[in-house]
Amino acid sequence: MAAVLGLIIGVVVGIFVRPDIPVFLQPYLPIMVVAALDALLGAARAYFQRSFSDKVFVISFFTNVITATLLVVLGNQLGVGSQLQTAVIVVLGIRIFSNVSAIRRFIFRS
Amino acid sequence: MAVHKPEVDDTLSRLHKQHAKDKENDRVETGSFPVVGRKPKRVSLDANRSRARVITNIFIVVLCALLGYGYVIQLNNTRSTYETMSEEELTRLISETSNQVQLQEQRRNELQAQLNSLQDAADKQQEAQRIAQQNEETSGILSGRLPAEGEGVTISISHGSIEAVEASTMFSLIEELRNAGAEVIAINNVRVITQTYIADGENGLICDDVELSSPYVIKAIGDPQNLQNAVNIAGGVGSRLKVKFGAEVTVNASDRVRIDEVAEVPQYQYAKTVE
Repeated sequence: MAAVLGLIIGVVVGIFVRPDIPVFLQPYLPIMVVAALDALLGAARAYFQRSFSDKVFVISFFTNVITATLLVVLGNQLGVGSQLQTAVIVVLGIRIFSNVSAIRRFIFRS
Repeated sequence: MAVHKPEVDDTLSRLHKQHAKDKENDRVETGSFPVVGRKPKRVSLDANRSRARVITNIFIVVLCALLGYGYVIQLNNTRSTYETMSEEELTRLISETSNQVQLQEQRRNELQAQLNSLQDAADKQQEAQRIAQQNEETSGILSGRLPAEGEGVTISISHGSIEAVEASTMFSLIEELRNAGAEVIAINNVRVITQTYIADGENGLICDDVELSSPYVIKAIGDPQNLQNAVNIAGGVGSRLKVKFGAEVTVNASDRVRIDEVAEVPQYQYAKTVE
C-alpha cells in the first residue's frame, strides 16, 4: 500500500517538478531506476513470502542503486562503460523477471 | 545436599517424561501439512514498536517516490541523449555518420552519372528523330510522296495553233524549271518526279501513263523570279513554244502555289541502300 502510494507521489512530483539533472548524474539515472525497480520487486516477492523486512528493503534499495551506479562508473573509468552498463541491465532484468515469476506463482497458487 | 537430591531427581525425571511425551507426539501423524504460518501478530504494547513501523512505512513511501520520480525524470530526459554519451560513443557515432554520408554521396554520384548518360542518350535519340523527320520530309517532297506548297509560278500553255506541243519541248521546259531551282513540279494532275517521262500520244502528251489534255498547266514551287525568267528568257522554251507551236504561254507568279498531286513511291527492285 505504502509502496503504491509512494510510486504515485513520485510520478506526480516528477511530472510537475522538472529539475535539471546534473550532467554527471545523467548517464547513471536509468541504471538507478532499474536497480530500484529490482529492489522494489524483490521486496514485493519477500512480502508475498511473508519474509518481508523493512530494514532489508531499505538497505537493499540503496545497495542496489549504489552498486549498479558504482559498477557503471568503474566501467566508464576503465573504458568499458557501455558494456558494463549492458551487463548490469541484463542482470537486473533477469532478476526482475525471476521476481515477477515468483510473485506470479504466489498470486495464482493461493 | 541430601535434602536437595530428591528435588533434582524429580526435575530430571520430569524432563525425561516430558521428552518422551514430546517424541511420541512428534511421531503421531496428525494429517496436517506443514504450512508457512502467518507470523503471530505481536502485541504492540510498547509505543516504540509502532513508531518504528510508521517510520519504515514512511521510508518505503519515500523510496518508492524516489523511484517514480527518477523514472519520470528519465522519461523527460531522453531528448538530451547526446550529452550523456561518452567520448567513444560520440566518436563512433560521428564516424558511422560520416561513413554513411560518404556512401550516400557515392550513391548520389553514381545516380547522377546514370542520369547524365540517360539524358545524353535521350538527347541523341531526339536528335536522331529530328534528323529522321527532316529526312522524311525532304525525301517525301523529293519523291513526290507528300503534297507541297510555297512560292512559285503557274504556267499555262494553250493548245498549239500551228502544231501540237511536242513532248521534247515540254521536257525541256521542265528541265529549264529544274535548272532555275524548282523544287516541286506538277503538270496538270501529274506530279513530276525523277522517273517521270513525257511522251507524244495521239491526242496530246502522255505523262506517266496519263494522257494530258491542253491547256497544260504547270505548277512549280521555287523562286518565282527565277522561274519566270527561265520560261520567258529570250530564245528560251517560252519563245520556242510561242514561235514554233503557236501556243499561248502565260506565267503567273504567286506567293502560294499548292501542289496536291502526289506520286506513287516506286518499289525498288534492284537498288539496296548501303549500310
